[in-house]
Amino acid sequence: MNLGNVGNILMLVCLLASLIQSTQLLPKKIDIDYKIFSRLPFYSSLLAFILLIYIFVDSNFNYQLVVNNSHSEKPLIYKIAGAWGNHEGSLLLWILVLTIFNFMFSYSKIEHTDFKKNVTAFQSLMIFGFTLFLLLTSNPFTPTETFVSEGLGLNPVLQDLLLAIHPPILYVGYVGYSLVLSFAIGGMITNKVDKEWAEWLHPWVLTAWIFLTLGIGLGSFWAYYELGWGGYWFWDPVENASLMPWLAGTALFHCVIILKKKNILQSWTILLSILTFSLSLIGTFLVRSGILNSVHTFASDPARGLFILIFLAIILIISFTLYAFKGPLLDNKSEMSLVSKESSILANNWLLLSTLFVVFLGTLYPLGTDLFLQKSTSVGPNYYILSLLPITVLLLFFMIIGPNAKWQSDKISNIILSTNKLFILSLAIIFGFSIYFDELHLTQITLLTLCLTLILVSIKDGLRVNHNYTIIKPSLGKSLAHIGFGLLILSVVANATFAQEKIFQAKVNDILILDDQKFRFDSVEQNKGKNYNSIIATFHLMDNKTILETFKPEIRVYSNPPTVTSETSIIRKFLTDIYVVMNIPENSDFVNVRIHIKPLISFIWLSIILMVIGGMSAIVFRVKLKK
Amino acid sequence: MSKKVKKRLITILLSSLVLIIATLLITMNLKDNIIYFYSPTELQGASIDKKNIIRVGGLVKEDSYEYNDKTKIYSFIITDNSNDVDVEFVGIMPNLFAENKGVVVEGLAIDKKKITAIKVLAKHDENYMPPEVIDALKKEGQWQEK
Repeated sequence: MNLGNVGNILMLVCLLASLIQSTQLLPKKIDIDYKIFSRLPFYSSLLAFILLIYIFVDSNFNYQLVVNNSHSEKPLIYKIAGAWGNHEGSLLLWILVLTIFNFMFSYSKIEHTDFKKNVTAFQSLMIFGFTLFLLLTSNPFTPTETFVSEGLGLNPVLQDLLLAIHPPILYVGYVGYSLVLSFAIGGMITNKVDKEWAEWLHPWVLTAWIFLTLGIGLGSFWAYYELGWGGYWFWDPVENASLMPWLAGTALFHCVIILKKKNILQSWTILLSILTFSLSLIGTFLVRSGILNSVHTFASDPARGLFILIFLAIILIISFTLYAFKGPLLDNKSEMSLVSKESSILANNWLLLSTLFVVFLGTLYPLGTDLFLQKSTSVGPNYYILSLLPITVLLLFFMIIGPNAKWQSDKISNIILSTNKLFILSLAIIFGFSIYFDELHLTQITLLTLCLTLILVSIKDGLRVNHNYTIIKPSLGKSLAHIGFGLLILSVVANATFAQEKIFQAKVNDILILDDQKFRFDSVEQNKGKNYNSIIATFHLMDNKTILETFKPEIRVYSNPPTVTSETSIIRKFLTDIYVVMNIPENSDFVNVRIHIKPLISFIWLSIILMVIGGMSAIVFRVKLKK
Repeated sequence: MSKKVKKRLITILLSSLVLIIATLLITMNLKDNIIYFYSPTELQGASIDKKNIIRVGGLVKEDSYEYNDKTKIYSFIITDNSNDVDVEFVGIMPNLFAENKGVVVEGLAIDKKKITAIKVLAKHDENYMPPEVIDALKKEGQWQEK
């Protein structure tokens, strides 16, 4: 039997089953077993996805998608990754993740059946929408019209192991927030937005957050070594697109915690749920439609962007109509004290949303000038840095005092007492550093001191032991994640302050000097890789006559499709990275070499890992409500 | 006015004040950091502030690409086949830089015919053309669909 038809039938099953399940949203419910219809789409889209991978591995050039994105000489792992390295395949992956969340949720031990039916029904409605889109406009199983014997290949910049696993992880994060939206819709329909609702939502909202954090981290890590510009974050639209739902999602899960604890902020939590998934969709729209220029090129098509916009509009109309009716009834009328844990979390909510506003404006402004003024523009990184600086200072401040404040109400003096010693200690350390090593500016001192205080306060707060010398678990996750955030800002600031780079025009046997370190250019040789030819240079970091480190930056020339890339050579040490990248200008007898010395880069990756582990332990050790 | 209402009113007024100031600061900051794109022809008619970073894009003119061994300066000409702009650049040229291919540079204009580039923006593959360059060429009627 024709494999493509099997794939089409599987997706039709997915379409119909999710349509049937979504009828459960109607006030008059048809009597069906919601479990069957919320699980069936998962099985069928999983099989379709496996089938798609199979035709890629098999290099089956009867399918247009394989022809456009694969090549028989490509290494196996990139044949597999090629299945989702394009629009159609990634859409199928998106649907698969939607169904995975629905599938897993259908097994959850929530006893409120009506709520479960509504949540799975709304999730199914989204699955239906995306499956319809796939079948109508972007079917991955479209056969070729004429006989083709060889594929066109995959963009070499994308032939990278990390980039192969990066989109699935990012998608789990993006799409995870779809279930959060379904929770909001289901909760509003069944009038069940309370402490218990927050308790059910808690692990899901954290799961999405963990994957999104990890996905952004991996993307940044990839850009650092693959793009060869020495940076790890470029305020590029594609990066911003993933940062925006992260910011809203971070605000959201803090609210879920307050709701679970104090039974307040119901309608605000619902609003944030709607906002977060909308931003996930906007993020996808920005990336897929190609309306914004990006350093990360993707296959793009305006029609596809239009679909996502229409889909977003439908979701927003449904959500806000429901919210207009139910929203005002949700809230518990209770006053909040100005000095309390919940008020400082709420303050940080606003700061996160301000950050979101800054990023949103900077990302969409060029689109506005393009549409309305027919003028092409871009926004420089200074905009982000200057705008976010004061916000970050306040954010760090509230992160320091918040965890030390009591719920309900507290005295300012208590909070100051519990944090002032560590603050003074941090200030002394940073001042000492500034005097003995490098002179720092006031903003750098402020930021670094606050980061260090946050790290110390979080360590003191979270790594507590009780009298049996066992770790107090519930606060562990929060502390790890906060330590991670403090460390992240600290490393970013330190890196921006102390990084050095220099460009050299070098010939063999030249000695290149940067920051008292001597690099000797030893040789250039040609090499043949699996599906490319390359030129490899050898540089040695020297101490008098002894070789300390060897760098082998590379230039690769791919033929399918024809592309040239520079591969960086990075030596990672605990405190600094040394980063070497080269290229060869046309008709020249020298190579261009750029050497970077970048301090604390490893700590940036470490801080992201800390946040992810923090998120995980917050799920595992979450506090259960007393019945 | 009851005490509660008064308290609420003050909160609302204060927070909207903060919001307005923040928004003003952010938008002013945005205005300072916008990088405008010009084709060589557009650059002739534009009023350029020499302190602001701009982008210029077009094709690299044939036989214009040179490297000075002593000054380490690369120079080339960006053209949209109606007007030319001279570019000087110190740094690393991207791998796929070539004559008769599309390019976008970011830098400071010295005058309307000359720019000192800070960055020469990389292209991703041989067939890729920066969208701004396509638009710029279309405006001058120089773009041919393949």
